[in-house]
Amino acid sequence: MSAIVEVENLTKRFSEDVLAVDDISFSVEEGEIFGFLGPNGAGKSTTINMLTTLLKPTGGKALVAGLDIDKQQDEVRHVIGLVPQDLTVDDELSGRENMYLQADLYNVPRGEAKTRIEDLLKLVNLEDAADRRVKTYSGGMRKRLELAEGLIHRPQVLFLDEPTLGLDIQTRTAIWEYIRDLKKNNVITVFLTTHYLEEADGLCDRVAIIDHGKIVALDTPENLKHSVGGDVISLEVTSEKDLTEDLKRVPGVMDARKEDGQYRIKAANGEELTPVVLKAVWDQGAVVTSVNLAHPTLDQAFLEYTGRSMRDAEQTGNYDKVAASRRARRMH
Amino acid sequence: MLRETWSLTVREMKHWYRVKIQVFMTLIQPIVWLGLFGQAFNFGTFLPPSQIPLIFSGAPDYFSFMALGMLAVNALFTCMFSGMSIVWDRRFGFLNKLKVAPIPRGAVPLSRIMATVVRSLIQVSIVLVIALAFAYIPGLTGLTLKAGFSVTDLLGMFFVLFLLSVAFSAMFTTVALAVENQETLFGLINLLNLPLMFASAALFPTAMMPDWLRGIAEYNPLTWTADALRQFAFVDTAPIHDLWFDIIGLVAIAALLLGISAFVSRKLLSNR
Repeated sequence: MSAIVEVENLTKRFSEDVLAVDDISFSVEEGEIFGFLGPNGAGKSTTINMLTTLLKPTGGKALVAGLDIDKQQDEVRHVIGLVPQDLTVDDELSGRENMYLQADLYNVPRGEAKTRIEDLLKLVNLEDAADRRVKTYSGGMRKRLELAEGLIHRPQVLFLDEPTLGLDIQTRTAIWEYIRDLKKNNVITVFLTTHYLEEADGLCDRVAIIDHGKIVALDTPENLKHSVGGDVISLEVTSEKDLTEDLKRVPGVMDARKEDGQYRIKAANGEELTPVVLKAVWDQGAVVTSVNLAHPTLDQAFLEYTGRSMRDAEQTGNYDKVAASRRARRMH
Repeated sequence: MLRETWSLTVREMKHWYRVKIQVFMTLIQPIVWLGLFGQAFNFGTFLPPSQIPLIFSGAPDYFSFMALGMLAVNALFTCMFSGMSIVWDRRFGFLNKLKVAPIPRGAVPLSRIMATVVRSLIQVSIVLVIALAFAYIPGLTGLTLKAGFSVTDLLGMFFVLFLLSVAFSAMFTTVALAVENQETLFGLINLLNLPLMFASAALFPTAMMPDWLRGIAEYNPLTWTADALRQFAFVDTAPIHDLWFDIIGLVAIAALLLGISAFVSRKLLSNR
């Protein structure tokens, strides 16, 4: 296996105080499903937009299938497919017309295009709706059509930007199935961004966690979960005093910190340690109002690496700036 | 270059004819202009008959004069929305799909320009037919062409209207490429549209204008078009410019604006 996407010190600065992607380096192996996981505004879409020639990097370089994304834009465009975050299929055309338009844009030989279009429409279960206008489609159908469009020219690397955002669980599961099938039957590399942890966990061979424009972890989902190193006890406590240091002193506690009014305590064996921790809190004269014990999940790994829940990520000032800037960029 | 441009042009045309109200508007708009404006302002009746052909470039009445100007103005009206779809495509992300595709950047504006030119020529054909048909409706003034009007004259008229449509659709498509939202685009359309229409010989004879306005109007592509159209349609037109001046001027401005459009699209549709 060799690297099909090589990224070195890639940087994107939108303005003086908005650094969307901060000097990241990684590589994606040929044939793998590579996930880019991060909260909203972390720099996922900016990275994908640079790799797909939509945005110009302000620093560093990246090669896709050995082609420079800045100096060989047109060549790169031939070997990649992009399924963007927004639904971009044409409402006024039928599903099949959208596919033919895409085939024309990628100069797929006409005879070949017909076969591929029928096959792809079958793959995403749209053959019955293919002659209906897209404006009669549901969100899930549009996304499936979008996915089929991205495959029309048999790209070497398929970029999926939040492929299941806003879809119901059935459609989401179906999309995952298509992606798995795709990988089984073709030599294709899939690069996807997501902020759904179960998506990254169930689908990806390797996952990079990105936050504030930096890659904070990169490994297989298994290893990432493992690296969290055990269980996490969450406590809600009514207390004037900050108990972090007291909790850290409890034997068996690997780490403790306070976030969003909750204490998160890391331990190798959560079941046994929970009563001990509770006693330590009571000894300080504080009242525990809620306890939660969680075994390691990618969710946990994510929180460990990014240090905040994704929900909150949307509320920080930095998100707004990056997102606003990204919106402004997208207008171009 | 040809395949994707053609495919995108067909897409534009489908967007147009599948929205029935747009086709309806295409038919109704000339009727309103010619029927209301053309008839109400038929002020030639206030002039001594001997002066009419002199002031109206050889036309036997104001309506005939104005109807030919209306062909040019309707081409302008059709062309001013030619970039609208780019603004929508940008909003809905379709433009990114085009940007990611391995197509020459110029295919994006060129497809809109081609589709607009086709629509514009359809629109002016309708205007022409309606203006001629008015002659057969009692109580209305219609367009009266010269006695020996030939197919060559008709082709000449469509040729200058084609050039004008290319020029204006290229101009408005470029404007749409450069702006970020439809509010700005509408503002710019209005800003360009009304001065272009009124500072021209399309609806009013330049002979009746003050000097400064006539000076501007004589170099307006709408004037060149209207002037050329009248030279094809009437005799003794006392033209503003020589016919060849009008045509070469239109070719030059169309080529220039197409070039700018291609250049701007390469700048704005590449990665930034």
